[in-house]
Amino acid sequence: MKNMKKLLAALLVVVLAFGLAACGKASDGKTHLTFQIWDVNQRDGMQAVCDAYTAKNPDVVIEVQVTSWSEYWTKLEAAAISNQMPDVFWMHTNEILKYADYGMIADLTDLYNDEDPDYYKNHFSEISLANIQGSDGRYYGIPKDKDTVCLVYNKEMFDAAGVSYPDETWTWDDLTAASQQIYDTTGKYGYMAYGDDQLGYWNFVYQNGGYILTEDKTKGGFDNPATREAMEFYINLQQENWCPDQNYFAETSPGTAFFSEQGSMFLEGNWNLLSEMQNYPEMQGKWDVAVLPMCPNPAEGDGKATISNGLCYATGAKGKNLEIVKDVLKFFGSEEGQRVQGESGAAIPAYIGLEDTWVKVFDQFDYKLDVQKCVDMFDYGVQSVNNASRSVWKPKVQDELLRIYSGKSTLEDGLNNIQTFIDTAEAE
Amino acid sequence: MANNSKAGKFAKTEGMWGYIMVAPTIIGLIVLNLYPFIDTLKLSFTKTKPFGFYEFNGLTNYITMFTNADFWRANLNTIYFCLLTVPLGIFLALVVAVMLNTKIKGRTAFRAIFFLPMVVAPAAVAMVWKWMFNTEYGIINTLLGNNVNWITNPNVVMVTCAIVAIWSAIGYDAVLLLSGLQNISKSYYEAASLDGATKIQQFFHITLPMVSPTLFVVMIMRLMSSLKVYDLIYMMVEESNPALTSAQSLMFLFYRESFVAGNKGYGSAVVIWTVLLIGIVTAFQFWGQKKWVNYEV
Repeated sequence: MKNMKKLLAALLVVVLAFGLAACGKASDGKTHLTFQIWDVNQRDGMQAVCDAYTAKNPDVVIEVQVTSWSEYWTKLEAAAISNQMPDVFWMHTNEILKYADYGMIADLTDLYNDEDPDYYKNHFSEISLANIQGSDGRYYGIPKDKDTVCLVYNKEMFDAAGVSYPDETWTWDDLTAASQQIYDTTGKYGYMAYGDDQLGYWNFVYQNGGYILTEDKTKGGFDNPATREAMEFYINLQQENWCPDQNYFAETSPGTAFFSEQGSMFLEGNWNLLSEMQNYPEMQGKWDVAVLPMCPNPAEGDGKATISNGLCYATGAKGKNLEIVKDVLKFFGSEEGQRVQGESGAAIPAYIGLEDTWVKVFDQFDYKLDVQKCVDMFDYGVQSVNNASRSVWKPKVQDELLRIYSGKSTLEDGLNNIQTFIDTAEAE
Repeated sequence: MANNSKAGKFAKTEGMWGYIMVAPTIIGLIVLNLYPFIDTLKLSFTKTKPFGFYEFNGLTNYITMFTNADFWRANLNTIYFCLLTVPLGIFLALVVAVMLNTKIKGRTAFRAIFFLPMVVAPAAVAMVWKWMFNTEYGIINTLLGNNVNWITNPNVVMVTCAIVAIWSAIGYDAVLLLSGLQNISKSYYEAASLDGATKIQQFFHITLPMVSPTLFVVMIMRLMSSLKVYDLIYMMVEESNPALTSAQSLMFLFYRESFVAGNKGYGSAVVIWTVLLIGIVTAFQFWGQKKWVNYEV
C-alpha cells in the first residue's frame, strides 16, 4: 500500500507539472497574445500590422496563427465553448451574427468614444459597418478590409478573336457575344459561368434589380421576377457551347481552367489577384481585370452591381487580456494600422481613403494589372448576402441549384424550392 | 488464521494492481468511446444551437429523418457502396493472398507492394485517383480513349469510389488472409495431392474452409468500414458536384448536417441510426457464420 501511495504521489506530481507548464505565464514578463487567421497568403501582412503595434508597445508579443478555412470555424466554436478563444481573430460576415447574438464576441461599439464618437461612421463605408453589426445593430468587430468581384479576362484570346477588351460600357450581351466569338475562332471557352453565389449569380441578380434576401432579411427574393430572370439567364449560360457545364466545374475550377488557358473569362474576387500574379508568373501580361458587365435592361436601377464583402477583427467577450486586446484592436482600426495592412498587399483596407495603398502593391510586377477597376466598383457595391439562418439554407440552396443544373429540377420548381428553403430556415 | 488473513490481503492488493493495470484502457474507453456515445444519444433527442446550447425536442429528429428523402437516398447509397466493395474486394483480396502464399520470386517485395496503399493517407489516395479519373485531363479517359464522367455522372460516381476503396483495402485484407493461410498445415495438401485432388479442388475443399475464420473477421471489418465510408467520398466528391446526392453516404450526410448546416441534433440521429444498422448487419453475420465458418482444425 505504501508503494501505491508513492506511485500515486509521483503521478500527481507529473500531472501537476504538466498542468502548470501549460498555463504558466511566460517568463519574460510580457503579455503574449494570439491572433488567429485563415488565409496563409495574408500571414506576412498580418505580421507586419502586429509588428507595427509591438514596436510601440514592447511589452506585448502577438503571435499570428493560421488555420485553414475548413477547420477554422469548427475550431473557433470549440474554443468559444471552452472559453479559450484566441485573443484576436478574423471574423467573417457568414458567422458574425451567430457569435454576436450568442454574446461570444466583445461589443466594440464604444472603442473609439474617447477619440471620436463617430469614428466608425467617419472612416468606414456603410457596407463595412453592416458587416460588423450583430442583430442588435451594435458593432462587434473592427472592419479589416473590403473586397469586390471583378471580371478577369485573357487578353491573348481576345486579340486572337478580334474582340475588344471588356470596359465600363460592357453589358451581358457583350459578354455572351464576345464568348461566342472567342469560342468560334479560338476553340477556347468564353465566360465560365459556374454555380457559385458570391463569384457568380448573386452579382447578376443584383445587376438586374433583383435581390437574394428582402430588405429586412427575413424572406428570400427568389419569387421576385427580376431575380428569376437573372437566375434564368445565368443558369442557361451553361447550355451555350462556349461555356463548360457544371460537370466540368466540379473537376476543374474556373480559376484553374483560366490559368491553364482553357477559358477566356471568369469572375474573381480581388483578394485572389495578388497570389495569382505570384503563382502564375508565366501568365503575367496575358490577362487583365475589368469591371463587371452590366445588365442591359434592368428591372430596377442602372444595371451595375458587384458583391462587396469585408472581414473584421474581433475578440472574445470574456478574454483574459481584454483591456490590452482592445488597445490592439484600436490600433488595427486606426489609419496607421490599416495603412500597414494595405501596403503589405494583404487586402484593400476598409479605412476610407487608403485604397491606393493596395493598388500600389501591384507596382512590383512588370505588367501593371488594372486593379484600380476593383476599387472603382465600390461605388455600386452590394453587401454580401447574409442573415442569421444562412448556414442552414446555404447547403440546401446549393443542392437545389445542382439539381437544376443537372436537369433533375426544372428552373421553375427549383427556384420555388430555393425560396421555400430560405423562408422556412430557422436561425440556429 | 494469521496466514489466511495475509493471503487475503495479498489477494486484495493483487486485485487492486489488476485494476490499476487495466485502468488506462478502461479510462480511455470511457472517456473516448462510452461518454461520447451517450452524449451523441442524448444530442439526437435535442435541437442543438451554437456553442453547445441545446433543448430537448423528443423524437422530432427521428421523425424528420425517417420522412426525409435525402436520408433514405443516403441509406441506399451506402448499401450500394457495400454491395460494390465487400464481395469483390474480399474475393480479390483472397486471390491475392493465395498467390502471395505460393512460392514465387520476389514474394516479400510483392507483399510489401500490395500493402503499400494502406500506408498512404486516404486523403492523398483520393486526390491522386481524382486526377486520374478527371474527365478532360485524366489518364484513365486518355488510355480508354473515351469521355466518361467518372466523378460527376450520378450513375457512375459510386462505382468510381468503389474502385478506389477496393484498391486501398485489398492489401490489408490480403495480409490478414495470408496469416490465416499460413496456419493451414501442409499435410492436408500433401494428403489431397496423393489422392489426386486438383489445385482447384484443394482450394475449395481445404483452403476455403480452413481460412474461413479469418475470412469471417475480414468480412465483418470490411462491411463495417464500408457502412461508415466518409473520408474517401468527401475527398472525391466536392460540394459543387452535381452527382453529390448520388454519392452521399450516411456518414457524409451526418457531416453535412452537423458541420455544414450546424444541425448537430439531426446529425446525431443519423449516427445512432448508422450504429443500429451496423449492429443489425453484424448480428446477421454472426448468425449466418454458423452455416459456413469452420472452427475445427
